[in-house]
Amino acid sequence: MQPKKKRKGNTSLIFTNKMYVFLIPALAMFLVFWIYPVLQLFYYSITNFNGINYDYEFVGLKNYAKVLSNGTLSNSLKNTMIYAVFTVVLSNVIGMAVAMALNTRIRFKGLFRTCAYFPALFSAIVVGFIWSYVYMPGAGMIGNLLTLIGLDGSAFNPLGNYKTALYAIAIVEIWKGFGTTMIIYLAGLQTVDESLLEAGRIDGCTEWQLIRKIKLPLISATVTINVILSVIAGLKAFDYSFIMTNGGPGKSTKTLMFQVYETAFTDMKMGRASAFSVMAFAFIIIITVLMLFYLNKREVEL
Amino acid sequence: MKKQVLFSLALAGAMTMSTAVTAMAYDHEAIENSGDITITMMVSGTAYENDFETEQLPALIKEKWPNVTLEVTKLPDDNYYTSLKTKLASGECPDLILTQPMYAGQNSCYALAEAGYLASLNDLDTVAGRQDLNSVTYDGDVVTSTSGVSILGTYYNKDLFAQAGIESEPQTWDEFLEDCQKLQDAGIQPIVMGDKDQYVLQFGLYQIAANEIYPKNPDFDVQLRSGETHFTDEGTWDKVLEMYKTLYDNKYIDASKSLGYGASQAITDFIDGKAAMTFDGSFNAAALTAEGAAGPFERGYFPIPGTEGVYTATCLSAGYSIYSGSEYIDQCKEILDYWQDGSSPVWQAHLGTGRIIATYGEGADTAPNYELFKPFIDLLNEGKGFYWCNQAWPAGTETEMEVLFSEMVGGQGTEVEDIVEGMQEKFEDLLED
Repeated sequence: MQPKKKRKGNTSLIFTNKMYVFLIPALAMFLVFWIYPVLQLFYYSITNFNGINYDYEFVGLKNYAKVLSNGTLSNSLKNTMIYAVFTVVLSNVIGMAVAMALNTRIRFKGLFRTCAYFPALFSAIVVGFIWSYVYMPGAGMIGNLLTLIGLDGSAFNPLGNYKTALYAIAIVEIWKGFGTTMIIYLAGLQTVDESLLEAGRIDGCTEWQLIRKIKLPLISATVTINVILSVIAGLKAFDYSFIMTNGGPGKSTKTLMFQVYETAFTDMKMGRASAFSVMAFAFIIIITVLMLFYLNKREVEL
Repeated sequence: MKKQVLFSLALAGAMTMSTAVTAMAYDHEAIENSGDITITMMVSGTAYENDFETEQLPALIKEKWPNVTLEVTKLPDDNYYTSLKTKLASGECPDLILTQPMYAGQNSCYALAEAGYLASLNDLDTVAGRQDLNSVTYDGDVVTSTSGVSILGTYYNKDLFAQAGIESEPQTWDEFLEDCQKLQDAGIQPIVMGDKDQYVLQFGLYQIAANEIYPKNPDFDVQLRSGETHFTDEGTWDKVLEMYKTLYDNKYIDASKSLGYGASQAITDFIDGKAAMTFDGSFNAAALTAEGAAGPFERGYFPIPGTEGVYTATCLSAGYSIYSGSEYIDQCKEILDYWQDGSSPVWQAHLGTGRIIATYGEGADTAPNYELFKPFIDLLNEGKGFYWCNQAWPAGTETEMEVLFSEMVGGQGTEVEDIVEGMQEKFEDLLED
């Protein structure tokens, strides 16, 4: 009996070599619209390009040094981190709490779910504009309510206060985003086998123990997804800083992305903004990967 | 109305008008000799009902030249800037674009001209002989066609002034402060500002700078670039900032509220009669003269007076430039000449919008709100007008000023010295490349 010849290369009968041809359009799109612009970003980051005049010069790592030394990175990084932590924690806690409440047998469940998701349907511009009037001192919605109950509504000025402005815009992000978080948690909770909960109840578990010992471990993958998505959204925060406060008062709501925008389009330092983007990009990737590793490890432990 | 000599700033002798006189004339029959052509135009702003640029202008051009289709795109400011840069980079820029004088904004005519994107307009009939175009002249070439000016001033409610016993407009800084005090004593909020939109800080500061800096040294900004003057020089920007800060220190502008108010919210408060004054531009006259909750009341408009006289912060308005890569440069010139000739139907329609304050031509003195603006025009005619400071600065300097000033009035421990140092540092940083 002759020894069987070892076949080299692709042996699949389904995914033959010809099939790779079909990858070319998608790959081409990816290269042209993602990889190429990212490479361009790296390229511009070592030039003094101002966004208009293409007669620019190479400046080496000067843009990176400037970003690190002029204080804009540290301020925007601090604001972004506060914003991200605040929105990640609250949107997930609220999203999960609402999802658990709406996963029970209550009347008008569908209506409540719709209402909770409703803010997510509006664009950030509309939401930001509306909330500017909600927060407006004196004549705003909250100011009016405070006046109605005998308090000084005109003193309520969260967007004009250095200590509260960042949290005020983060609350808007949470208000708009918790519906999406809730929907994902709801989908996760519906995969929890009812028989496990039944068994827990027979064993005498309280509702809190059911949540802690059965539901949470079983939806840990959903938690990972939600937290990672919230972290990415938080680190990329731009909309409400731009729409509601324009980075102010002072520099108190300037986030990483806002600072990139301002450097590129107000200061017209496209090269420096590119360097800023590269650093922000690296920062977001590192944070996201670390979070992903940590949460995946927790999933296994649970 | 007399033509006006507007600006004293002359940048390094580069802006001589001599070429305008000697330039070759363009082909005045270019459109007539063309077949059916489409000319594109892009401007910034918000389109309103029967909008001038997007509706009236194309129709009037079609009426004059049936073979010309003018396609106008109007975009919000930020979209406009992004779109303009993209189109310039791809060589697909519209034939006509909106540009701003000197270094103002991302569509500043100097930056675009320096990059070679703007055609010379020296041979326009409507440019010949004009002496007021320094701030749209780059390296000897007029690059923006503009017929109007924009003013910064103080809108005030005459009824509330009368209620506080104020009989006339203030003529000195001390009188202005006294009037603010009278209003406050009468229980009226003297000034409302929407400082949440930090750019509005420029509205007051530039008026004070026009009084306190430029009359003493009209070349202050030119010298800033050459290093002869600095923002930190004593008696210049420190004085301006200190004077403006006085309004916050005395609560004539209430920072605890203004930092949470947007520009439009401040306008609403003014027309609702909740405050006696607001600093704003002629470009917002329509909104500020609209009827609010306070019903109809008479408005006035005056320049913030200085310690040694009254000057006005008035500059050339944004105007229209021709893309140097356009196929239809001469045709665009014909259109601009027709538009800006001071009498054509296009001119009349543009003036009728009430959004420009023309410095020449038919109907300039009967345009909407002309009475409000007349005192400023008179000051200009007397040579007491100066451009808006940021037009001479690299974009971004004013943002630093606004941010630091907000920090100061917001109680963050920032002092006037920190602001002028910050402005100087930013200015040098922006000029570096």
